[in-house]
Amino acid sequence: MKTLFALLAGLAVTVSVAQDVDSLDPSGQTVMFWHQHSTERLEALDAIIEEFNTTNEWGITVQQEYQGGYGDIFQKMLPILSTSSAPNLVVGYQNQAATYAIGDGMTDLTPFVESERWGLTDEEKADFFPGFYTADIFPSFDNQRFGFPPNRSMEVMYYNADWLAELADAGAISFDGPPTTPEQFREAACAATDTPFSGALADASLGYKLSTDASRFASWTFAFGGDVYDYDADRYAYDSPEAIEAMTYLQDLFEDGCADFVTERYGDQTDFGQGTLLFTVGSSSGLPYYDSAVSEGADFAWSVAPLPRTTEDPVMNVYGASVSIPTGHSPEADLATWLFIKHYTSPEAQATWAKASNYFPVRQSVADGLSDYFAENEAYATAFDLLPYGTTEPPVPGYDFVRDNVESDMAAIMDGDDVERVLATLTSESNLILDDQLSAME
Amino acid sequence: MRWRGEWITAYAMIFPATALIAIFGLFPIGYAIYMSLYRWRIRQGGFVGLDNYETVLGDWGGAAAFFGGLLLILVAHHLWTRAFRAHAGWRRYGPLVGALTLASAGIAISLGWSRMVEAGEARFLGGLIRTTYYGFLSVPIQIVLALILASLLFQRLRGSETFRMLFFLPYVTPAVAGAAVYAALFSPRPERPINTLLGWFGIPPQDWLFETDPVLELLANGVLARIARLAGTEPIEVALSGFWAGPSLALVTIIVFGIWTYTGYNAVIFLAGLANIPRDLYEAAEIDGANGRQRFLHVTIPMLSPVTFYLTVLGFIGTFQAFTHLYVMRVPATRDAVDTASVVIFDTFYKRNDFSLAAAQSIVLFVIILILTLFNQRVLGGRGAR
Repeated sequence: MKTLFALLAGLAVTVSVAQDVDSLDPSGQTVMFWHQHSTERLEALDAIIEEFNTTNEWGITVQQEYQGGYGDIFQKMLPILSTSSAPNLVVGYQNQAATYAIGDGMTDLTPFVESERWGLTDEEKADFFPGFYTADIFPSFDNQRFGFPPNRSMEVMYYNADWLAELADAGAISFDGPPTTPEQFREAACAATDTPFSGALADASLGYKLSTDASRFASWTFAFGGDVYDYDADRYAYDSPEAIEAMTYLQDLFEDGCADFVTERYGDQTDFGQGTLLFTVGSSSGLPYYDSAVSEGADFAWSVAPLPRTTEDPVMNVYGASVSIPTGHSPEADLATWLFIKHYTSPEAQATWAKASNYFPVRQSVADGLSDYFAENEAYATAFDLLPYGTTEPPVPGYDFVRDNVESDMAAIMDGDDVERVLATLTSESNLILDDQLSAME
Repeated sequence: MRWRGEWITAYAMIFPATALIAIFGLFPIGYAIYMSLYRWRIRQGGFVGLDNYETVLGDWGGAAAFFGGLLLILVAHHLWTRAFRAHAGWRRYGPLVGALTLASAGIAISLGWSRMVEAGEARFLGGLIRTTYYGFLSVPIQIVLALILASLLFQRLRGSETFRMLFFLPYVTPAVAGAAVYAALFSPRPERPINTLLGWFGIPPQDWLFETDPVLELLANGVLARIARLAGTEPIEVALSGFWAGPSLALVTIIVFGIWTYTGYNAVIFLAGLANIPRDLYEAAEIDGANGRQRFLHVTIPMLSPVTFYLTVLGFIGTFQAFTHLYVMRVPATRDAVDTASVVIFDTFYKRNDFSLAAAQSIVLFVIILILTLFNQRVLGGRGAR
C-alpha cells in the first residue's frame, strides 16, 4: 500500500512538473553543446545542428564546441557544476552523469520526456531499443533521468575469416566459421600462433591480443554468463565465479603463448590488418578503422561475431555516451535543449548520424532507412543484429576510478598473479570507492 | 615627509606583484588547506579536521618521525659545517655529533616511513617513493650532463650556436608531443627504433614502458643469464623488491625522457654562468700552475655554485611536480609503476572525485618540496653565497 502511495505521489509530482514544462516558451534560446566528435562525425553533427537551427519553429540556435575526449570533458565539467558556465548540453557516460549528479549538476529529463506538449509519444518511446532507453534512468537517484541516448556501440570479436578457413582446411581446428565457445576460441588462437596466415605481411603470428580495459573485462565476464555488478545488492561483483572463470581462461591463453597484450594504441588493429593476428575484441565503432587496416594491409575476408560464450544466447556489452542537460540554466533554456535532443534522436537524424559515425542508432525504426548501408557494410549489419542481446556496464558514480583499477588488475592477472586473490581485492576496493561515492549523496 | 612619500611609492610599486602572488599563489594554497579539512567530494561536506591527513599519512607518530628525520638531516648538515668553522674542541667533536645526528635522521626516516606505509594510503606513499626515484635519478644526471655540454659549447666551437639551439629544442617542444614520440620510440614491439637498436648489439627486445620489474633486477638477471650461457649451466634468476630494488624499467624510460628534456635548458643556463666567471681567476690559477682539470674543479665548479643551486632547486621542484609526460606515457599494464605523487593526486581528484583527500595529498607533497628546497639552500645555497 505504502509503495503504491509512493508511486502515485511520484507520478503526481511528475505530472505536475510536466504541466509546468508544458507552459514554458523556448523561443529565442541559444544552446551550447559540448562534445567529443571530430572529423566525419563532426561534419554529420554540424549538418544535424544546421538542420535544426534552420527548421525549428522557436528560433532556437544550437552551437557546438569540441572539448576533447570524454575524460577532458569530465575534467572541465567538475569545477563548473551547477553554474551558468556549464554548457546546456554535454556528452558523458552514465557513471560521469552520476558523478555530476552528486554535485547537483544534472537536470532530470523526465518532465521533458513525459511532457504532453514537448515530450515523446508512447509510440516514439517504444521505438527506442529498450535497454538503450532505460540506461540513463538512475535507480540510485530516485529513478531520475540524467541523460538521453543518441548512439551506442558494442563490444564484438573481430576475426580473420580467411585464416580460420585455412586452419580448418589444414585440420588445425575442428570447426568452421567463427568460434562460438571458449574452447573453440582457444583451439583457433593457439593453432593460429603455430600456423601463420598465408597472406600475412609480416613475420609474426598470434591468436589474440588483449587490451586491458574494464569494458573488455565486462565483455568476457558477460560471455561466461556473469556480471561485474550485482544489481540486487548494489555492489561490484568482480570476484563472481563467472568473472574468475573468464579471467582464468584468459590467463591460460597468455600462459600458453596464444595471447598477448596490445602494446600500442590500436596496435591490435595494425596487426589484424597485417594478417598476423587472428582475433581481437573491441568496440563496433572501430569497424571503419578495421576495414581500412585490412584493405590497406593483407586484404582478406573478415567480419565480427559475438565473443565466444558459455551462455546459450550471446550477451553483448553495449555502451555509449549519452547527452545530458547540466543545471545552471533557465527552464526555458533546458526546454530548448531538450527539443534539440528530440531532433537529434529522431529517426531521420539518427539515420544520418549512424551512417556518418558508424555508431548504432538508438531507434529500431531507423533500420528501415539503413538497408543500403547494411548491404555495403556486412560487418555493421551483423553487429546490428546483435543489439537485442545487449547489456550494460554499471552506471554508478566512481566507475572511472574502478575502471583504472580493473585495467591494472587485469594486467596483473595476465602477468600471472593469482586470479582469485586479485579479484577479491579488486572487488573490495571497488566497493569501497562505491561506498565513498554514495556517501557523498547523503 | 619625503620618507613617507618614498614609503608609499615603494609599497605602490610592489603592490601589483604582491597582489598577483597573493591571488594566484597564496590563495590556492590556503584554499587547498581549507578543502583538506573538510569532507569534500564534488560538493563540500562537514568539517573533519585532520582526518584526511591521517588517511594519507596513516600514523601520526610515524609521520612525525619521518618529517622529523628530514629536518634532522638539515641539523646534521648545520653541525657538520659549523664544526669546520669552530674552535678546536667543537672541531674535534662536531663531525662526530653531525654524523650521529645524520644516523639518527636515517633511523627516524626509516622507522617513520615503515609505520606510515603500514597504515597510510599505499597509492600516494608509493607515489612518493617513485617521485623520489624520479627526482634523485634525473636531476643529478641532468646537471652533470648540462655542465659537460655547457663547458664544451663554451670552447667557441664552430657551430656552437646551432648546437646550443639543438640542445634547447627539447625544452621548448610541447611535453605531450615529445612524450608521445618517446612512447613510440620505446614501444615494446620488436620492430620499433630502440628495440631495433638493441637488436644490433644482440640484446633482446625490452618491454620498456610496459616493464614493471626493477631495472636492477633486469640487469642482474641479464648478467647472470650471460654468465650461465658462458658456463653452460642453467641461469639463476634473482627477484629484487623494496626501495633498494630501484625503479621499474618503465619509470627509468620516463626518467630518460626527463633528462632529454631538461639537459639542454640547464646547459644554456650554465653557459650564462660560465660567461660571468672573471677571466683573471683562470689566469691566476694558471700562473699558480693549475692544469685544465684543476681549473675546472677548483675555479669553474665553485664559481658556478649559485647556478647549480638554482638549477638543482628548480630541478627537484620540477621533478616532484612532474605530471604531463608521466601521464601521457603511462600504460595500464604497468599498473602504478610510473605513478608519481602528482599523478596519484590527479587521479584522486578527477577519478576518485575525492577533492579533500587530493588537497591533503597536495599539502603533504608541498611540505616535502619545501623541506627539500630548504635542504638544497643549506647545502648548495651556502656555497653559492661564499
